[in-house]
Amino acid sequence: MTTFDSKIALGRASVRPARGKLFLTLLVLLLVVAVLSLAIGPTGISLQALPRALAASLGYTTDAAAARDRLVLIDLRLPRTLLAAFVGAALGTSGAMMQGLFRNPLADPGIVGVSSGAALAAIATIVLGHGIAEPIVAPLGIYALPIAAFTGGLVTTILLVAIAARHGQLAVGTLLLAGIAIGALAAAISGLIVYASDDRELRDLTFWSMGSLSGASWQKVFAVTPFAIAIGFLIPRLTRGLNGFLLGEAEAMHLGIDTERTKRIAIVATAAAVGAAVAVAGIIGFVGLVVPHVLRLISGPDNRVVLPGSAILGAALVIFADIIARMVVSPAELPIGIVLALIGAPVFLHLVLRRGMGGWE
Amino acid sequence: MLEARDVVVKRGAKVLLAGVSVAITPGQLTAIIGPNGAGKSTLLRAMAGELRPTDGAVLLDGVDLRTFPVARLATRRSVVAQSTNLSFPFTVLEAVMLGATVPGFGIRDRDAAVAARKALIAVGLESFEDRMIHQLSGGERQRVHIARALCQLSTAPRRPGETAALLLDEPTANLDLKHQGEVLTVIKEQSLSGRAVLLVIHDLNLAAAFADDVVLMANGQIVGRGTPHEVLNEDLLSHTYGCRLKIDTSSDGRRLVLPAAITRRQRTGAAAE
Amino acid sequence: MRVATRFLVTAGAALAFAAMTSDLHPALAADASDTAPRILSIGGDITEILYDLGQQDKVVAVDTTSLFPPDALKDKKSVGYMRALSAEGALSVNPTLIIASDGAGPPEVVKALKGSGVRYVEIADKPSAQGVPDKIRHIGTLVGADDAANALATKIETEFASLDNDRRQIKSRKKVLFILAIVNGRATVGGGGTAADSILLLAGADNAAAGVAGYKPVNDEQLTEFAPDAVVIMRRAGTDEHRAKEALTLAGLSQTPAAKTNSLIQMDGLYVLGFGPRAPDAARDLMKAIYPEAGQAAATP
Repeated sequence: MTTFDSKIALGRASVRPARGKLFLTLLVLLLVVAVLSLAIGPTGISLQALPRALAASLGYTTDAAAARDRLVLIDLRLPRTLLAAFVGAALGTSGAMMQGLFRNPLADPGIVGVSSGAALAAIATIVLGHGIAEPIVAPLGIYALPIAAFTGGLVTTILLVAIAARHGQLAVGTLLLAGIAIGALAAAISGLIVYASDDRELRDLTFWSMGSLSGASWQKVFAVTPFAIAIGFLIPRLTRGLNGFLLGEAEAMHLGIDTERTKRIAIVATAAAVGAAVAVAGIIGFVGLVVPHVLRLISGPDNRVVLPGSAILGAALVIFADIIARMVVSPAELPIGIVLALIGAPVFLHLVLRRGMGGWE
Repeated sequence: MLEARDVVVKRGAKVLLAGVSVAITPGQLTAIIGPNGAGKSTLLRAMAGELRPTDGAVLLDGVDLRTFPVARLATRRSVVAQSTNLSFPFTVLEAVMLGATVPGFGIRDRDAAVAARKALIAVGLESFEDRMIHQLSGGERQRVHIARALCQLSTAPRRPGETAALLLDEPTANLDLKHQGEVLTVIKEQSLSGRAVLLVIHDLNLAAAFADDVVLMANGQIVGRGTPHEVLNEDLLSHTYGCRLKIDTSSDGRRLVLPAAITRRQRTGAAAE
Repeated sequence: MRVATRFLVTAGAALAFAAMTSDLHPALAADASDTAPRILSIGGDITEILYDLGQQDKVVAVDTTSLFPPDALKDKKSVGYMRALSAEGALSVNPTLIIASDGAGPPEVVKALKGSGVRYVEIADKPSAQGVPDKIRHIGTLVGADDAANALATKIETEFASLDNDRRQIKSRKKVLFILAIVNGRATVGGGGTAADSILLLAGADNAAAGVAGYKPVNDEQLTEFAPDAVVIMRRAGTDEHRAKEALTLAGLSQTPAAKTNSLIQMDGLYVLGFGPRAPDAARDLMKAIYPEAGQAAATP
């Protein structure tokens, strides 16, 4: 009885870490990799150059070395780090959202066709942007791709909802199947467009589809900022609902959750996250699958921890992978998707083998 | 009082409930019995607000359920579904706490944990709180879900006089005799403490032993209601279940229902054919 | 708790290390303007031209398409594939002049490099007889080797003129199919508008796949339809003769005139498609290979 009494004050399962400590640890981890990402690069410019770089960007010096420090630190590494953080956070949370929605730990935005839809729109923009779609694409400039990919992700999702909701209730099983079908359709259309494109576009597509942050720029950072804000706004409105979904759709309703609304928010937030991430970094897999999984192993399935935690851990992971991508074969660089698979797959395998199926039935 | 009034539920052309009226009242344990496909679970889901009646209405303290926002409904009734699968690795405590944290009653996790631990004591699982759900037996899991429903009702803010209903769909289905008794005792205690309890149950003897009222259903309609003594009579049950049943009374006065044993005459008759 | 503490200590140490790491490349601080230019060459043809102009000592780094001369990738740093450059990677070789093909990418990186203060010059990648001397003269001006460039360009113009002369003597033009690669039994062919198309025309042949736009994978039925008299296939490192010969055994090619006469020509990729200083030689070699009979192309050595 004494052990029970000593536990009675604990507002969580004693096998789980305290939430505050967990978030603090994750934030410190994110901070460390972010600082490393700013400090490390093929030019060897370190953070010692930061004051000079800031002076140059504020116009206090026109010294050539300072201008270069500014370029590397402020215009190359900083936006790249921010973009990596966004992409990681977006992919991590969208994975967590989809897994919560489908009650399937292996669900991924790719499964419901959102990634394929975003990719199709991006591919179409790349290929047709020089041709028939030029009047639309050209004025959008560098924003054309993010806008197109988000629209593609959203259109796919809305189409999905329309199909799944035709018989009144939005059944999750129908959604999953429709998503697979739409994803396949989008991939097929992408294939058609790629076939119609010429050599140069094809090669751009190849590298784009392997995922890379080498094209990071402040413009891309600005382009995804509204998406980041929107996702940050939606996630706190999702955690309770998705916690209800952990028990099942009917059970969520019994517990007072408006299940249709939860699904809609999750779908829109996922489309925004995946669309924006695909637009700026291409198709980067693996983050959405593994990051929420790792968090659940540590903290349990409570989405109040898993969703924000996946954002932080996803950001840290992608920044870390990007550091490796740019340093290993420097001055050339690797596609980040390869790095993530190389880091993540063994970790994932290890976790699965060590913890069994992590308690899944 | 939670009341179904002339509730009709259709799915396509199929009529699942053909005008059913039932009321459950605080302090009473009402058991719904009937053969498979009688519409018992459909009635429970309609009364839980999960299914919209095609016709008729479900009223909670006189107010149509359709006018209740789901969040407010969650303060007034909790449901234990026939089977609930958790797809992620929960501890027992975490699963029970969901009853208090998901509805957004605005209580802190610490208080939710206190309520969850009380609910676990009520179902006799207090020493299980750090166990993973998937390591429990089917009966233990069922009790965890009952604890979650209790946790929901005990933490929900309600005004005095408002009915709090507990709806359970076959909570004893996977349990052995010991746990059947334990779970039904917990449920009975809930009704005795003033909750309106609706219990869908297959086992007629358990219904007879624990229920205050029994509602017998067949083909989407109510074919009998009253005390266990009134409803559990040989003719009505044999007719409803389509087989010959034998009713006895135990030494403590409870009804006992058994399928009639095949008599020697029937056996020889069958052999002769 | 202990884990968290240990983690925080490690994190702090890592941060301190990152902050203390001083400039790893002292060359960065050196003022490069008073010494010879440091050239980053992006594009196989550009590197080849720079070497032909005797500028190899000024080249500090190249991209991975700079396969010729083979010394280039051996002696110089590689900044990776020309279409997947890294801005900081390119800057880390501390160039003062970046000469890049207009096919270099990704676009954002090119944009960042252009805004980096390092001189960035784009060389138009026109696969044509006129495009090659244009490139050479342009690069010659950039590196201050105008005379050498003029001499080289003039020589190439002469060679192309002589090739043009030889081309007129071809009596019956052959239809030739250019196969870039065979993957899983499917051939990717060079269609209209490609460097492959240009080099075939320069070699006096008609592109059998002229109706296809760009480099495209095609199926066996379409290969049959092309009915080429000869097939040109890329020779790659690690691809032996035996593997290349499989080209003519593709179902779609087995019934074509090329298969009947066993006309399979293997060429080095950069040599025939690069449109560098060796383009006239490549076109002539190709012409000789396509028209081995009657000594048509042998008129000029």
